[in-house]
Amino acid sequence: MNQADVIQRLQKIFDDIFLDAPTLTPELTAKDVPEWTSLIHISLLVAVEQEFQVRFRVGEVEATRNVGEFADLIARRASEK
Amino acid sequence: MDLSEIKQLLLGNEPAFWSQLRGLTGQATAFEDLIVLSSMRKKAVARGLARPEGARQTLRLAVLGGYSLYPLHELLIHLLETAGISCEIFLGDYDNYVAEIMDADGALYRFQPQVVFLLPGAQRCRHSGALTDPRETVEAAAKAFAAQLTGFCNTLHERTPAEVLLGNFMLPARRDPGEFRSRTLASDWSFRKFVNLELGLTAPPFVRICDLEFLASRSGALAAEDARGWCESKQPCSPAFLVDVCREVAHLILGLRTPPKKLLALDLDNTLWGGVVADDGLEGIEIGDTSPRGEAFKAFQRYILSLKDRGVLLAVCSKNDHEKAVEPFEKHPEMVLKMKDFVSFKANWEPKSDNLRRIAAELGLGIDSFVFVDDNPAEIEIVRQFAPGVTTILLGSDPSDYAGQLKDCRMFEPRSITAEDARRTGQYLEEMERQSLLTSATDMDAYLESLAMEAVIRDFNPLDVPRLAQLINKSNQFNLTTRRRTEAEVQALIDHPGYVALSVRLEDRFGDHGLISIIIGCISGETLHVDTWLMSCRVLKRQVEETVLNELYCRARARGCTRIEGLYLATKKNDMVRDFYPRMGFQTRAVTTERGDYVLDLDAFQPIPTKIAIRDRK
Repeated sequence: MNQADVIQRLQKIFDDIFLDAPTLTPELTAKDVPEWTSLIHISLLVAVEQEFQVRFRVGEVEATRNVGEFADLIARRASEK
Repeated sequence: MDLSEIKQLLLGNEPAFWSQLRGLTGQATAFEDLIVLSSMRKKAVARGLARPEGARQTLRLAVLGGYSLYPLHELLIHLLETAGISCEIFLGDYDNYVAEIMDADGALYRFQPQVVFLLPGAQRCRHSGALTDPRETVEAAAKAFAAQLTGFCNTLHERTPAEVLLGNFMLPARRDPGEFRSRTLASDWSFRKFVNLELGLTAPPFVRICDLEFLASRSGALAAEDARGWCESKQPCSPAFLVDVCREVAHLILGLRTPPKKLLALDLDNTLWGGVVADDGLEGIEIGDTSPRGEAFKAFQRYILSLKDRGVLLAVCSKNDHEKAVEPFEKHPEMVLKMKDFVSFKANWEPKSDNLRRIAAELGLGIDSFVFVDDNPAEIEIVRQFAPGVTTILLGSDPSDYAGQLKDCRMFEPRSITAEDARRTGQYLEEMERQSLLTSATDMDAYLESLAMEAVIRDFNPLDVPRLAQLINKSNQFNLTTRRRTEAEVQALIDHPGYVALSVRLEDRFGDHGLISIIIGCISGETLHVDTWLMSCRVLKRQVEETVLNELYCRARARGCTRIEGLYLATKKNDMVRDFYPRMGFQTRAVTTERGDYVLDLDAFQPIPTKIAIRDRK
């Protein structure tokens, strides 16, 4: 699973959670999307862990700077299983 | 949970959004679904989507604690908002509750909260000494810890009129230190348990405990913990468990504003015992230790009796003959519940909604303080439609779950229990003697119409023989002649030229009642003699009889008959159909106490309008 595959699946989760979902690109950040509040962010993480069957390690999601890095992290954790 | 529909409602500015939001919020169990619903609610408010008029209350709620209270407060506000309570919120800073409570001139008191939810941090609820400290030392430390917390509650209460909800402590879910955990009071496990007990037993009456220990034990302590969430953002627990905690707090807050239910109204057959007493007889019903099902019903009765002992009034609301319904209570040795346990006993053939209203009038109680329990969805529905204030509980399919189902309904949670509560039933029984009956009728036609009933009336066929024989040999109450037949005799009636032998099935929108009525007519010349007419009492007052008569009229006509002769043979159990034929428009020919002979002139007969459609007639 590469970054693009992950982003494609992420898009579906964003579509479900956001009222007006942004089109995901590797460069996109939460700051670019008004609807992407910290509250929405929390539910995104719960949904992502479920969808990809992964568990992030403490602090590592916070360290990702954009959708691309987040997708890479998901791919990394998913490949470990 | 599929949220696409409600999303469309929101995007389309549809007012139906609000009822959908309420429904989905009630069902949602997943944290992320509730958060999304909460975001939608806020967006709907921001977009000015008109909320339907309704009684909304406001609440000034302060949330304090030893954790980050975000997103806890979001969930809590959402649950309260969708339950009709608009919140103004004071959100304490992370682990700042001591200062917030102690500062008499602080922001907390300027906010003037009506309810304070205090969730102290579990990290401090531990013994600071050694595991080997003497029990007395640790006990004193635990009591001091609990006393400090109840002290905070007292301070809050002195400075505001607020009710205080106090969270207690989850027990550690990890195995350390093994078996030794329960051998010393100094382990986190024992210490927190002791503190929790102490809080519950010593907190003043204006405090309500939000029992995290119980909630985590119910849902799974390991899944409730969230070490990562604590390290990352000082979360008290996992997102899933946060939902449980918030639902509990919302329940407690709503409970402060709605009185508990007062009366539990119970169906009898297949609710308090297995089987139908009027058909199966006193010996035939399942109650007591001799069978697994009997055991289950007995356990259910025991739980109901315990409710009575803490002040819940009990009533019977059953479709039955009064004498037969009373019999198990008076004669069956395995019955836990007795007649004296009930403040009202309605076993008759009136709609249950009417009976519930009568009970309310007799006792001088609001019908909205009633909870009605039945195993039959159609009875639940008639009560929902015609006595909408009553809370209904439809029992599931397994009697061993009945007690658990009632224990989880949360309708009878007392704030306290007094010696007075145990005497309440007696007081009401006396009061009843002074009261007179009030009756009211419901619109029966509309109810029947809403059931969307369909009947299938067929000639006897080989597949049905076992069920036909069973009904013929078992039915007692609605049975005009109580003539029994063997399977072979039933078989012989199939395609018999001298007989009209019909089976009736009934379905409504709740499901299939199965084969519920049998008519056997013997033709001689221009007369159809009704040899057998029986029906299951479950479908009484559903116009099945009228529908069957209409059909019998057609069949008799087709066979060239001009009259139908009906016969009633009295037994100990079939008094309810003594007047059946006259009620159906038959002329009386001769009547004694043992039998009645009736006749219907087919030329003069007009089919009776009913709400039952007949399907695949053949």
